[in-house]
Parts: sequence; structure tokens; C-alpha cells
Amino acid sequence: MDKQQDFVLRTIEERSVKFVRLWFTDVLGTLKNVAVAPAEVEGAFAEGVGFDGSAIEGLTRLYEADMLAHPDPSSFQILPWRGDVDPTARMFCDITTPDGLPAVSDPRHVLKRTLAKASEKGFTFYTHPEIEFYLLNNSDWENGGAQPIDQAGYFDNVPGGVAHDFRRRSVRMLEDIGISVEFSHHEVGPGQNEIDLRYADALTTADNIMTFRTVIKEVAMEHGVYATFMPKPFAEHPGSGMHTHMSLFEGDTNAFYDASGKYQLSKTGRSFIAGLLHYAPEITAVTNQFVNSYKRLWGGGEPPSYATWGHNNRSALVRVPVYKPGKGQSSRVEYRAIDSAANPYLAYALLLAAGMRGIEQDLELPAEAEDNVWDLTDMERRALGYRALPPSLADAIELMEQSELVAETLGEKVFDYFLLNKRQEWAAYRQQVTPFELRNNLQSL
Amino acid sequence: MTSPSLTDLAKAGFAHLSDSRSLVEEISRDYGVPVNDLLDAIVDVADPDRAVIELERLCRTGSAHEQLLRLLVSPKAFVRLLRILGGSSGLAAFLQRHPGAMAILSDESELPSADALRASLLDSVSARAGVARLNGERGRTSLRMRYREELARIASFDFAAPDPTAVVQEVSSTLASLADATLEAALAVARADVVDGSTTAEDIAQVRFAIIGMGKCGARELNYISDVDVIFVAESASEESLSTERALTIATKLAQHVMRIVFEAGTEPGLWEVDANLRPEGKAGALVRTLESHLAYYDRWAKNWEFQALLKARPVAGDPDLGRRYVDTLAPFVWRSASRPEFVEQVQAMRERVTAHIPADEVEVQIKLGPGGLRDVEFTVQLLQLVHGQTDESVRTRGTLESLAALASKGYVGRPEAASFAQNYRLLRTLEHRIQLRDLTRTHLMPRDEDAVRAVARGSRVASTGEELLEAWQRVKLEVRDLHERLFYRPLLAAVATLPDEALVITSEQAESRLAAIGFRDPRTALTHIAALTSGLRRRADIQRALLPVLLKWLAEGPSPDSGLLTFRRLSEQLGESPWYLRMLRDSSGAASRLMTILSGSRYIADLVERIPEAVAWLDDDADLTPRSRTMLGTEIESIVERHIGEDGAKEARKALQSIRHREILRVAMGSILGVNDDATTSFGLSAIMEATLDGALQLAVRDEPRNPEIAIVAMGRFGGEETGFGSDADVMFVYRDTPAISGNDATRRAERIVSRIKEILEDHRVPFDLDTDLRPEGKNGVTVRSLESYAAYYQRWSLSWEAQALLRARPAVGNDALLADFTAVIEPVRYPASMSVDDLREIRRIKARVEKERLPQGANPTRHLKLGRGSLSDVEWLVQMLQLQHAHAHPELKTTSTRAAMRAAVEIGLVSQSDADVLMAAWYLASRIRSALTLWGSPTSDMLPIDRFDLDGVARLMGYPAHSAAILEEDYLSATRRARTAFERLFFEA
Repeated sequence: MDKQQDFVLRTIEERSVKFVRLWFTDVLGTLKNVAVAPAEVEGAFAEGVGFDGSAIEGLTRLYEADMLAHPDPSSFQILPWRGDVDPTARMFCDITTPDGLPAVSDPRHVLKRTLAKASEKGFTFYTHPEIEFYLLNNSDWENGGAQPIDQAGYFDNVPGGVAHDFRRRSVRMLEDIGISVEFSHHEVGPGQNEIDLRYADALTTADNIMTFRTVIKEVAMEHGVYATFMPKPFAEHPGSGMHTHMSLFEGDTNAFYDASGKYQLSKTGRSFIAGLLHYAPEITAVTNQFVNSYKRLWGGGEPPSYATWGHNNRSALVRVPVYKPGKGQSSRVEYRAIDSAANPYLAYALLLAAGMRGIEQDLELPAEAEDNVWDLTDMERRALGYRALPPSLADAIELMEQSELVAETLGEKVFDYFLLNKRQEWAAYRQQVTPFELRNNLQSL
Repeated sequence: MTSPSLTDLAKAGFAHLSDSRSLVEEISRDYGVPVNDLLDAIVDVADPDRAVIELERLCRTGSAHEQLLRLLVSPKAFVRLLRILGGSSGLAAFLQRHPGAMAILSDESELPSADALRASLLDSVSARAGVARLNGERGRTSLRMRYREELARIASFDFAAPDPTAVVQEVSSTLASLADATLEAALAVARADVVDGSTTAEDIAQVRFAIIGMGKCGARELNYISDVDVIFVAESASEESLSTERALTIATKLAQHVMRIVFEAGTEPGLWEVDANLRPEGKAGALVRTLESHLAYYDRWAKNWEFQALLKARPVAGDPDLGRRYVDTLAPFVWRSASRPEFVEQVQAMRERVTAHIPADEVEVQIKLGPGGLRDVEFTVQLLQLVHGQTDESVRTRGTLESLAALASKGYVGRPEAASFAQNYRLLRTLEHRIQLRDLTRTHLMPRDEDAVRAVARGSRVASTGEELLEAWQRVKLEVRDLHERLFYRPLLAAVATLPDEALVITSEQAESRLAAIGFRDPRTALTHIAALTSGLRRRADIQRALLPVLLKWLAEGPSPDSGLLTFRRLSEQLGESPWYLRMLRDSSGAASRLMTILSGSRYIADLVERIPEAVAWLDDDADLTPRSRTMLGTEIESIVERHIGEDGAKEARKALQSIRHREILRVAMGSILGVNDDATTSFGLSAIMEATLDGALQLAVRDEPRNPEIAIVAMGRFGGEETGFGSDADVMFVYRDTPAISGNDATRRAERIVSRIKEILEDHRVPFDLDTDLRPEGKNGVTVRSLESYAAYYQRWSLSWEAQALLRARPAVGNDALLADFTAVIEPVRYPASMSVDDLREIRRIKARVEKERLPQGANPTRHLKLGRGSLSDVEWLVQMLQLQHAHAHPELKTTSTRAAMRAAVEIGLVSQSDADVLMAAWYLASRIRSALTLWGSPTSDMLPIDRFDLDGVARLMGYPAHSAAILEEDYLSATRRARTAFERLFFEA
């Protein structure tokens, strides 16, 4: 680490960095930012930067307000959208209490702790997300103001369109900030885009997702449009998911790969999927954390709403992608429920914990779903033993409340806070009188 | 040729007689060595059986024949050969590979000098001006063979020593010189190997390169087989002809080659690993750095342990000037480290590491780690050096033994202790050497098989049988553990007192830094306590001087050593010269250690002990720490009441009653914290004390007047259930009944007077007796005492469900037995109703829900409230009580005032599943124990799980968690109560 700290200080000098932003994430996945002057960075490495944690959602209790942010020098990057005038850099932080212990409510710590547990068993966890989002002409949602910027569809090339420029510029900027992009294209919905990040260890990926959201919003502003990661902004168009490919490595070996297994999937890989399926309903409140998330999960467009798995079956919750011969290292499984608005630290911690449980308890993988799960009748699904994901945030909360896995992984305090916050969100939502009700009831009743 | 008798063989030291006899005969026949000569020679050998096996093997090695014949001519050389063969199979294998090496055994064994070793090893690779002519595989092989020859020479000297422990330091130091020489020669080979198209010999000559020895090599106390820790440093001799960058590239290649030349597998096996991981940034860092780069690193980034590693740094090979500059430049850093803020924690962590991380099955056989092992000695010496080396340059030495001598000569440790510490260290090292030599493997474990232990005994000459060796070793282990205290803690006293027998000179600043290093927060004040405890000429001071070192250590192991020491001082001033006290401290280490545990661990107990110093005597006997029975207490109190009569008597009696109560609470508290009493025993004990005290108060109150109504006290709440904790309230109800002598309003007034008199008697500012009558009919609005008829009438007409619920824990406790029996009969139908209507149940649920909202104090966090919080005491108790109200009528097993017993009964009847009961009771026990621990810790309130880490940690330790468990206790509590709450909601609101 020390070499990296040195590198940071040197770069600040050489590039005449004027501001350094220290980033961390609250329990709900909102990025928080403390800016310090370059001269303060050395002190920040040594002692951390104090701040009042009580102002941050879920971070702390009122009476334990003093917190320290310790920047992680390996995450140092110059922010490209600031240009060459007053260069600004950022680092992600770990949060501690004044006595130097990790703040139990720091989501980054939750993920780190879960990764450390897996690492005790010899596993490293890699993820690669496919992040979908919408580009809108503005963010004014009232009076039907916000509209997609185009009417194109899946993989469409829109000549002269904003979207194309936008993606090119975003990818460039992401690469500048050290985030490798695998792929980018227009998605199914009008104005909907997808950018896939290259696989990396889960902590780096989670940091990258947080950065990604900021970059996308900045670039959109540059282009005079607005980017949203809301799970389902339009009832009539598909929602924005964040399908995540996952793999476990033991040293340099992909633990999911077995040349002789079905779909080249190892015993470890099968148990991991079994764990994901078993625990999927109770972790959904975290992977799909907003009222709106359930509009995506159940609002048509065939999202993965049932705990099933399949080989290249797009209606399944967990998909085992087609294996490319000779690519043993790229064996992976894809979890398709998680959406673009999830807190990536908590969501990845839970996906890993669920998969690890599957391995530890040697869970048996149920039969593969070969049909389109959506075409089946309720009775057929029941006969096949396909369990549904919770239909609403309220149901998801109820399932999570009973979950030892979630409590243990998040830690009691984050667990409590998260539930409290979600119950409030549900209560507030329930008070709404929606246009749907007015349209259907006002005149007829 | 005569055949030796088995007795002869046994006398000579053989263990496997028949097998060895045939080998002896064979050798004797083939080489014409008379059997008796062979037997004479073997007496001196560590493992005679092995020696003849190896000798026979050597004989079968064709090329060895001539060398053997030459050696066998000299009986002395023959003995030397046998010692090697019987002491080290590793070296025996080497001689079998290279019989020519046996030549070294023809001369008397002497330890080669450092210069001689350097010359010898450089000669083995034909080095000139630091560059080997013999390079590549040939250089390597030749170097390794010469190394092993020299090693055999050293071993031969070692085996010949009449007392190996006396030469262990010279042997270790020579082994370090051999390692130095090996690295030097390897560097010469590397310089030749590295030359290629892009790197010329001239370039290499321009690179100044030094190898710094660290760890045991740096300290010149190397083992036979050990990794050699090094750091590489390099620079360009002239920046003009070779840039620094280029010099570092070449130096890195040199370093990599040196490591491979020494260790990489080859025709002649590698020697030992050259470990460069102590370098800046460890494995991730550059292998070779310039001096400036090292300096910059230590200046800014290094961690404390890295400075401690630098303590041993010594230039061992390469450019001597650069090496010296490295050591001189970095030395000051070592001595600044002890003044760094995190030093104390790191030292404590170091201390924990000494004993932790040893696999359980190895603890018994560990020579190095574990209690009383080599690491204990090294740790103690290093810690003392770091503390005192800050100000005193003369203790800035590298080796363990030399440092110990330096510390003793400056008076930081006592001379006699230093001497026996050194002797023990030498003995442990000798054992380690013998064990490593045996198979030339890197081990620190005493072998487990008998033959091997016997060979270690004979080879080290510490004992003649394996059994004796293990005994001797056991004694050393015990002594080493004990010496740590005497070396580290005893000199603390020298700062403030004159120790008659030693020339210890240590200033108070030095003593303060030592105290701070072990966790005293206010070392200056601590030192004044130590001064007070040890000053004076009286017997007490003498004994305390002798004991304080270990007492300080025990205090420092607890969470709060400062306050513990203060209380100990006060205690000892009060007890003064009491012979029993001094005797106990001196003779019973168990009692003394227990005393320190409670003083450093519990403010509550410390306060009580200060007032009842004679309680210290109980520590010696567990029987004195178990609660007194209710009957015993009753008898004592009765006699007090009888003894103190009249107006003055009342005051005296009240005082006596109070001090009995304090004394008994203290007894139970000490027994609980020391693990003598389990939770249930503690609760029963505390309930008995409450009851006996109330009884005494009642007796005193009624005797003021000749005419009294019948009167009795009913225990309620936790007191009723005999589940009292430390700091629990005494929930009670008072009941009276008219007698022919007094009735009507007179009786009522008299009863009221008695109750208020009881309250007066029980008033206690030191250990409050919280008499709580809020569970009476109409709660706070009701009258404090009622007649039996009034209770009967009330419960018949008005009874609210919460009152019936409270009665479930009503237990006849004190006073008129007939009245208590009648009271019990009156409440029977109220608390165990024949049936509960749906409305009744709904009402109980509704009240519970309301109570949750209303009774929690303003702003209190429900997840941390131990009594009313989520899933805590009241949840579990309400559930149990609701089940009792519903089912106790039909199932008399449920008729108990104890929550524990009722829950057990509920499981047996099938009202609650075993797994739910486990979850609920886990939370109930945990909350109860935390409440008690909070009181013992000295916290003003026991209702909330503390937020402060220091408090949480103290509470956790009282509950048996290891140090630094604040966060773990918190997580345990939050998850236990969360699970309990889930079960509670399901069973209470839904069932």
C-alpha cells in the first residue's frame, strides 16, 4: 500500500491536482463525497479524515457521530470530465470509528468482510456487470415531460444520434478513469443503453459501478440530456437491469469450470447456483431495493421473476452462458434479477454469501428450466417447483426479515437500518393515490 | 573376534540390541576394528543404533573404503565420525554422498574463525576480487559441498563439547559466520553468472552491493537449519559510468542469483532459503533498493514491527562500506519506535502472538513457541531493549544473550535473574540444535518417539534418558515463564524502592515507559502506588516487593489495571500487617491472581472489597466463594436481632444487617466473576441474600411495638422467580391480617408504619437496596400495604390482567407463614384461572403492544434496551406468562415463579418447540448476564447495552469473552435478540 500512497502523492504534485474527492457509499448506495485539498491527503492516509457520520443515511447512530474516512490509494484516479483546468482526483474510502475499527455500517466493509470469508475458503470472487440505463431529454418527470431521446431498438445504430456520441464519449471517459469497458450498445427500449464493464474482483467492480454512474450522469449533462438508472422509468418499455456475471477462482483456476461437467460446469459451480436459487427470494430486497424495482421484475418484458436456472435460457433467473471451447477460465454464471439501482457492495456481498452457502451446504441443483418460464401456467410452474421472487417491496421486506443469511452477511446494524428504511419507503408509497386509481375509479365510482 | 554380549551393548548405550549387534559384528569383521574399541567409542554418541546403521551404510559405499580405513587408524577420529553419524542422519547422508569430506574429521575439532570460513568458501568457487572463476552449476555444487563440510566441522566440535550448553553461543555465532561466508561466495558466483551480452563485467564492478543480515543471522545466533533473513541494498559506484537505475537492475539480478545459488534444487541439494521478505513493502516491494529509498520508506511508511526487525540488522556480505552506512543510517529509527503512539497495542498484539497460533497438538512439544519457549525469552529481551534503548545506547545490542548481559550490567534487570534466564535460553537452544541436526530439518518440535528423545538427551548431555530430559525441559519452561515477570516487572520496583539484593538502577521515566507499554493509562500515578506499596521496612513491604512484579502482570491482563492497582494499594494499607493476608499473598498464587483479576475487572467488587478487606481471605478457598444458604443467613441475622436491643441496639442492628448484606453480595460476586458459581447458583444466592435481609428488616421493624398485626412479604418479579441479578430491584408486596390484639384502622396504621420502617432500615447509599412495590394492586396509585381480605376483595372484583400476570411470579418470602399460605390460596385462582377468554388474551396482547411503545425511555434505542427492548427480557417473560395464564390450570407443571422452569415445562407439554425455546432463552440469558456484568463493571445503569467501546469491552471480558471483543458482543446480542423477537412475535401475537 505504501508504494501506492507514494504514487498518489507524486501524481498529485506532477499533475497539479487542485482537489481530491474522497468517496464512500451510504447504506442505500448513494455516493457521498468529502473534498480535501491536496496538502491534506498525506494526513488523510495517516489518520483518515473526520466527518460527522450522523448526517449520512444508515452510517451511524446519532450518538456515535464521529467517523473517519480512510482513502484507499489503489483507487486513485484523476476525474476526466473535469478537464485540465483545476484537475480533480478521487479515491474511495473505508470508514472507521475513531478507535480504528471498521464502521460496521460501511457497505464497502460489508463486501470486504464477505470477500474475506470466501478467501478463507480459498476463493476469489469476480464479477462483471451489464448496466442498463435510459437517456432522457430531461429529468422533469412531471406533466409527462421526460421522454427518451430516441425511438431506436436493440443494437440499432442511430446515425447522427446523441446516443451514439454519448456512448463513445462515455466509454472513452471510463477508460480514462481506469474502467475497462467490454461492450456497449443500444438496448431494447427507446433511449435505453447498455454498457458492460470488464470483469474484475467484486470490490473493484462495485467501486467501478459507483464511478460509472457518476461518469454517465456527467457525460449526459455534457450532451444536454439526462441519464437515469431508475429500474423502470416507463411502464411500456423494458426496465433497466444490471445482469451480473460471476465466477469464483481458486488461485489461477476457475472453480466453476470442469471440462467433463454438463455445460462444463463444476460441482462447485452447480452448488453455487443452487445457493443463489435457494436464497434468491430473501436477498431480493437488496438486489432490487426500491418500490419501482418490482415494476421491472413483474412489469412485463419477461424479466427473471422465478428462481430457476437454465443454459442460455433468457427467462431463467440464473443463466449459464454458452461455453466457448478452450475458454475454461471464462466459465461463469449470470444473475439476472439485480437492477441498476442496487447498492453494488451489499448486493454483491449477498450474491456471494448465497452462492457460498450453496457450496458449504452442498446444495443440490434443481432441474434446469428448458422452456420459457413465462409461457408456463401457474400450476405448471408450481409442479416444476419454480418459486417466485417477491412480487413487491413489501413482500421482499417480509422475506428479508426472516433471513439469517442476510442478517449475518450485512451485520445486525446494516440489516436493521436497511429494513427500517425500506419499511418507511413502502409506507410512503402506499399513501400515494396514483393516476391508475384516478383513471379507473374516479368517474366510475 | 568375540561376539559382544547384549549387556555390553546396553551398557554402551544401544537400545535395539540384537539388530545393532549384528551390525557391530559386521563392521568389526570387515574393517578389523576390535568390537570393544567400537563399543568404547560409541558410549559418547547421541544415538548409537543410528550410528552403526549409518556406519554400515558408509562401509557399503564403495568410494568410502579408503577414507574409512584412514580414519579408523585413529581412535579419536573414529569417535568423531561416530558422533556425526549418530547425531545427524543429514550429515551422515552427506558423507555417504561425498566420502572425501570425511577428511575434516582427521583433525581435532575446532570452531573455524569468521575469516577462515570466508576464505574457505571463497576458495571453493575460486573467487578473485569478488568474482568466482567457478560459476554456473559447478560453482554452486562446489559451494554447497564446502558449506556442508564446514557444517560438519562445526557439528563435530559441538558434539565433542563436554557441556554443549556452554558453547551454544559460539556455535550459533559460527553458524552465522558460515552463512555470511556462504552469501559472500554466492555473490561471487552470481557476479560471474550475471555477465551476458548486455551486462559486462565492468558494469557489474561498478555496482556497490551489500547484503544485510536480519533476524537470527543478523543477531549472530543462527540455528543449524534456518531461513536466513536478508535485505539487499545497492548503489552505483559512479553515476557517470553507470546510472542508478541500471545499477539497481544489475543488483536485482545479482540478488536473484544469490538466492538461487544458495537454495535452488541441484545435484548437491540447496542449503537454506534466503528470505528477503523483511524488506520494505514485503513481497510486493522491490527486491533491491538504494540506501536513500530505504531511508525514505522507513521515514514515512514503515510499521512498528519493521523497526523491531531492524534491531538485528548487520552487514553480512558484499560492499562493507555500504553495509555499514545502511546500518548506521537506519539505527536511529529503531529507537524512536517505542515512543510512537500505537506502540502499546502492537506490543500487546506481539505478546498475544507469542502464545496464539500454535496448533493444539504442538503446544506440548514446542521448544520455540508456546509458554516457556525460546520466543518468550526473545520477546522479553526485545521489549526491554525497545523500552530502554530509547535513552540508553549501551543496550542497543543484537543478540539475545549479549542484550541480556547489557541489560543486567546497566541494572535494568536483576543479575541473578539474567543469569538463570541466559542459562535457560542456552539449554533450549542446545535442544533445538540437537533436534535440527538429527535430520537436518528446520523444526522446533521435540520429537515424539522415544528413541529420538533419548538421542536428544544423550546428544545434548542434558540428561541420560529421554524421561529425564523431558523433566528437565519442563522445569526450564516453568522457570522461563516465571522469569518474564521477574525481568520485566520486578525492576519497576527498583525505580521507587531500594531492593536490597540487587544493583538495579532504573529511573522513574524508564519505569513509566515500561508501565505504559503494558497498558497502564496513567503510569505516573501507578508508579506512586507502587512506591507506596513497596516502601518501608516492614514485613508487608518486603512481601509486596517480592510479589508486586507478578501482581502487576496480572493487573495488566485485565481491562482496567489503573483502578485495580489503586484499590490494591488501599486494601493493603487497611489490612496492614495482618499475618493471614501476607501469608496468603505470599503462599497462594491462585488467590493473589484472583485478587488482581477482580480488582482490574470489576469496579463494583473493588468498592466492596475495599470496605470488607477480610473478604480477600475467601479467595483461597472456593467453598468460601459459594453463596451461603438462606438458613445460615437467617440464623446469623436472627442472632443480631436478638443481640442488639433497645434504641441504640436498633442502630447497631441495622448496621450489622447492612454489612452482612454487603459481605454476602461480595461473596457471590467474587464467586461469579471467578467462575466458581454458575448463573443459576448466583441468582439463587442473590435472592437468598435479599430475602434474609428483608427478613431481618421485618424483625427489627415489628419489635418497636408490642402489638402487631400478622405481616408478611411476598417476593415478585425476578426476585419472585429467584432469578435475581446484580443490581436487580427487589419487587415485593406487603400483606397483613388483623389479630385479636390489633385490628381495623389500628392494624392498618401499624402495618403501614412497619412498612415505612422497613424502608428506612433498608436504606443503603453504598449498595442500594431498591425495594419496589409497584406491582401491588393499582400500581403506584394503590396503598403500599393491604390486608389479606382487601387483596381478596380486590382481586375478585377488579383484577386487571397485568396484575394476574404479575402474580405469576409471587412467591411467599418472609414473615408469618400462615398468612403467606392464605395469601397464596387467595391468588391461586387469579393467576392460574380455569380458563382464559379470547378477550382476556387479546387484552394481554394489547397491553404488551402498548407497553412497548410507552415504557421505553425517551430516545432509547429499542435494539439496545436489555429489559424492554426488542427480543429482550420482557418479550420472553411476557410470552412465558401468557402461556402460564392459559395452561397452568390444566398443567400444574407450569405453576412456577421461575421463567427458566416455566419455559422448560412449556416445552415438555408441547406448547413451545425446543428450537423456539432455545432461541428465546438464549436471548434471555444473554440479556440477564449483560445486566449483571454491567453492574459488576461499575456502570451507573444496567438497562442499556453500552455504546462506549471501553465499557463494552470490559463487560465482554466479565462475561468470558477474550480481550477486544466489544464488537463481537454487540453483534451477538443484536442477533440473539433479533431471532428471539421473531419467535416471540409468532408465538405471542399469532398463536
